[in-house]
Amino acid sequence: MKQDTAAKTMVIASCLYFGLALTMGLLTALKFIVPTVGEIEYLSMPRVRMLHTNINLFGWLLQADMGILFWILPRILHTRLFSEKLGVVTGILYNLTVIGGFAAIILGHVKNVEYGEIPPPFDYLIAVCWVLFLINVVGTVATRRVKYLYVSVWYALGSVIWTTFVYLTGNMFSQLPMVSGVNEANLIWFYVHNAVGLIFTPLGVAIAYYLIPKQLDTPIYSHKLSMVGFWVISFVYVWTGAHHMLHGPQPYWLQTVAIIFSWSLIIPVMAVITNFFGTFATAPRGLRMKGPIPKLLMMGTVYYIFTCLQGPFQAIREVSEIVSKTDWVVGHAHMALFGAFSYYAMAGVYYVAPKMAGRPLYSEKLGDLQFWIMTLASIPFFAVLWISGVVQGYAWLNPANSFVETLEAIRHAHIMRFSTGGLIFLAYFLFLYNVMQTFFGKYGETAEKETAVAE
Amino acid sequence: MKVNVERSLLWTATGAFVLFAIGAVLTTIVPPLVSKDMQVSQYPLHEYTEQELRGIEIYKREGCVYCHTQQIRHLESDQKRYGWRLVDAAVSDSWEYVNDKDNFLGTKRTGPDLARVGGKYSSEWHWAHFKDPRNMGEKFPNRKGIYERASIMPSFAYLSDEEIKDLTAYIQTLGRNKNWRVDENGVPLNDYEK
Ligand code: HEC
Repeated sequence: MKQDTAAKTMVIASCLYFGLALTMGLLTALKFIVPTVGEIEYLSMPRVRMLHTNINLFGWLLQADMGILFWILPRILHTRLFSEKLGVVTGILYNLTVIGGFAAIILGHVKNVEYGEIPPPFDYLIAVCWVLFLINVVGTVATRRVKYLYVSVWYALGSVIWTTFVYLTGNMFSQLPMVSGVNEANLIWFYVHNAVGLIFTPLGVAIAYYLIPKQLDTPIYSHKLSMVGFWVISFVYVWTGAHHMLHGPQPYWLQTVAIIFSWSLIIPVMAVITNFFGTFATAPRGLRMKGPIPKLLMMGTVYYIFTCLQGPFQAIREVSEIVSKTDWVVGHAHMALFGAFSYYAMAGVYYVAPKMAGRPLYSEKLGDLQFWIMTLASIPFFAVLWISGVVQGYAWLNPANSFVETLEAIRHAHIMRFSTGGLIFLAYFLFLYNVMQTFFGKYGETAEKETAVAE
Repeated sequence: MKVNVERSLLWTATGAFVLFAIGAVLTTIVPPLVSKDMQVSQYPLHEYTEQELRGIEIYKREGCVYCHTQQIRHLESDQKRYGWRLVDAAVSDSWEYVNDKDNFLGTKRTGPDLARVGGKYSSEWHWAHFKDPRNMGEKFPNRKGIYERASIMPSFAYLSDEEIKDLTAYIQTLGRNKNWRVDENGVPLNDYEK
């Protein structure tokens, strides 16, 4: 089978899902302004919201990361993908699975697991696909032709191992008959939190660790920092799930443990970020911001710092009292999954698409334009959610404000969220057009295809 | 023997797994063993009827949890806001949830918390509210004005009459594992609406 077929399938499919997910996001935002829009069962606000998160997580981000890694890993390891056939089977099965899952959600067959609403049998099939992916990753590492494992490989390995357990805990163990109530909530929070921290973070960081030095033609700033970042995150990330439930009915000691470990997360994050910025700072000036790829990587890293500092901050009991359960949290989640990791994934797509198509990116200018629109729209998009959260959080402190009054006070924020979200949605089409043109468009230039090893 | 982790697939993978597994076990399996009331209750709990169980399925299917939490946190603001008719809402304890196969503790309050809403309104009120939260008809005149403008709860008019009754039956059980409605002397008020 032709090299990179698996990578290509998954990357292209993921870009299409991204648009669908954004559509659902925009519709949810609209329903916050005009709740009577689309008043039918299949488009009720909670269903649309579930589609928005699940399509983003499983259709777009996870799939894009998998596709990009299918391409990157053989390059780092100077070998071929362990099995291209298995890769293609994974890609096809995965897409059939997630489509089935999304259809089930629309029809109201859902699991009561946030980020894991996709019901059986589709969630089991996702786990199967993940194991197939794991076999391919581990197999590729085992058949490598270089001695050392580069940082991206550590993160890819860590992620495939951790994710297997995190996914099973949230989607299967939490559903066992003897698990209920607060215990179930704890298992689900373990999943939700680590889905971001031990699935999307390591996959995104793996991609950035490959792309930043490649694109800037500069070695990674510090090998020691790479090691600190990886080994510390392996240990500390997993403890923090309970910081989402501060002041709630969960055991107090568990909350305290989560708070302490949330603060220790600053160590690995700062190690990674210093490393990325160090590489940017030591790169030749001309390359630092040339075209959309380094821009997306740089801005993704900026968002990564902010999310990761916001995390421990929110885990302070007094802060949580104000911002928890408000729009603030929605802003925080968007900055992590859209701001940081979707930016890395888009950089990855812009990087691998031309390589796979064997010619340069259709238009760097268009890529730049997309970057600027998305970035200038996403900053107020996040900010307005935080502001709204703080306003409502303080308003809730006074019992004299009725609930609907506090809701009316943040109406302007919901309008802003919809309009800035609309701009992000528009910019997405520039991204899609650029990528699709690169793969399928009719334009002349050809460049050499980068193969991992000779055919 | 000198191990070079960075050259070894086995060592990198094992190391990453072991470090992760320590925290994973201590935060998932251990908590219910240490804090037993996460999974067992020493107080009597309400056993859901068939109808209420159907209501729970509807609550889950319709995703009410994405807008409503069910937890009175250890915060005065929660207790004051979600209490009604002059009694503050009691804080939610772990044991109260033990019979909830699906937990609806929730993460986002787009609408008010529902942990103690059982008995706050009559079932007739809920009926009108599910049909149209922005226009509950002449019987509930104090829902005019700001609710028409600012309630963003969707209308669930597409549910069948049976479904609305099932859902309401479940809603009326919320928060009543604890008989929290007592006067200053601890005498039960028994003023729940039907
Ligand atoms: C889009 C968010 C949203 C969804 C989804 C939603 N609600 Fe609401 N809900 C609200 C808002 C906002 C209010 C406050 C305004 C009002 O009373 O209409 C509210 C109020 C309520 C109240 C009155 C609470 C009180 O103490 O006054 C109940 C009961 C309720 N909702 C039940 C439900 C149920 C059951 C579902 C699922 C079938 C549901 N809601 C779905 C937003 C939502």
